[in-house]
Amino acid sequence: MLFNLNAGFFENIGKIFSSSEYLSMLFKGLGCTLLISFGATVIGIILGTLVAIVKIIPSKKPIMKGLNVVCDIYTTIFRGTPMALQLFIMAFVIFAIRGFPMEIVAILAFGINSGAYVSESIRAGILSVDVGQMEAGRALGLPYSKTMWKIIIPQAIKNVIPAIGNEIIALIKETSIVSMVGGLYDLTLVAKILGGGDKLANFLAPMTVAALFYLAIVYLLTFVIKLIERRLRSGDKR
Amino acid sequence: MINVKNVYKSFGDLHVLNGVSLDIKAGEKVVIVGPSGSGKSTLLRCMNLLEIPEKGEVWLEGQLLTAVDPSLHEGMEDKKARKAFEKEYSLDINRGRAKMGMVFQHFNLFNNLTVLGNMILVPVELKLKTKEQAIIDAEALLDRIGLLDKRDVYPSTLSGGQKQRIAIARALNMNPKVLLFDEPTSALDPEMVGEVLELMKTLADDGLTMVIVTHEMGFAKEIANRVIFIDEGVIKEENEPKEFFENPKNPRLQEFLSKVL
Repeated sequence: MLFNLNAGFFENIGKIFSSSEYLSMLFKGLGCTLLISFGATVIGIILGTLVAIVKIIPSKKPIMKGLNVVCDIYTTIFRGTPMALQLFIMAFVIFAIRGFPMEIVAILAFGINSGAYVSESIRAGILSVDVGQMEAGRALGLPYSKTMWKIIIPQAIKNVIPAIGNEIIALIKETSIVSMVGGLYDLTLVAKILGGGDKLANFLAPMTVAALFYLAIVYLLTFVIKLIERRLRSGDKR
Repeated sequence: MINVKNVYKSFGDLHVLNGVSLDIKAGEKVVIVGPSGSGKSTLLRCMNLLEIPEKGEVWLEGQLLTAVDPSLHEGMEDKKARKAFEKEYSLDINRGRAKMGMVFQHFNLFNNLTVLGNMILVPVELKLKTKEQAIIDAEALLDRIGLLDKRDVYPSTLSGGQKQRIAIARALNMNPKVLLFDEPTSALDPEMVGEVLELMKTLADDGLTMVIVTHEMGFAKEIANRVIFIDEGVIKEENEPKEFFENPKNPRLQEFLSKVL
């Protein structure tokens, strides 16, 4: 079976890269994957930051307590249920509107899911900053919000970058499940279509190419994250 | 300058301060000693409200930092009277803290800022000084403590003694009325204790009001106007240093001194 597939492997790879139709399909798929990943990352980081801040502010006001409960429910539900299920509910229940762009549905679904994870990473990053830093700021007379903004957050960001990077990488790969709801031609679905009987009639080559594309994105991203980390850490030798 | 009135503080079931009253006059150097867990650090932290007392009041220069404690005044059972009293005497907590410098056991320099950034951030943010003035003053202070060459480095590259001296300089750049020291030498290597105590001595000679929690008994003897022994959350003895160390009356203090001297 395997050698049978191998026989046409390089030939099929050649076909993919020499056919402008296949190539443009693949790159459109790549674009779709990147669009969903980028949109979801932005939403995830904004949402995650807001939720982390709500959870960390020590306030006894009823509004803040209520918000805290809402945020707890949010992280519990979105971390506790499968991503595919959340996507289905978004696509077939909440946004079951004819003609509603699936890209937006996917970005929202992945973004909201990602926010739940990011919020915990950011919260952990803020908590990992020594309490002495907050005390020193407060003892000098700096208000809570300013101490948070000028002292705690800059230090927390450094601690959070690796975890956020991890989350983005996981997110990029997880977007491949959009092929399950239809209407979105992402990298994985395009690879599947290329492997179909009316195209190459072989899955190994297109799947390998798609895998290499994913690998390339993740590798590039890892490189960028390392660069950011190094720049942020230039201040402190440890 | 600072008036602590009948302060109580507990953490859960642990009663750390059980009614402590203390008046600190301008220019005074008060050293607080006591066994660990006696509440001496908590007392210091109640003065600038890093810990909020459950009962009692803290006053700074005739202004109330805590909520009013009705049991300390007459006619304060009425909520309206309390509000009126607070309106007349209350001082915003951040403005109060800006007048009281604090030096921590673990220095707590801001790790994300350079030495100069550490020293100018708060006075500039609180608009106590212009940025230019804050830098001029910071450089003068750094020069005074012999660390001007460290102006642009990050705290992680400094020794413990240097960190603590810069933490003191950071507090001084606020032009505080009083400096609170919370075991400033306890986290230092022995050979670095001297340089920090030396700096504190020169500040004392300059007439700065200081409240110091420390285990350095020799230092206490040398610079204190008054030494306070605190144990089980109450002040057991207070006296001028000679009498305090040579002729202690409280049996717990006698026992304590026999162990540490």
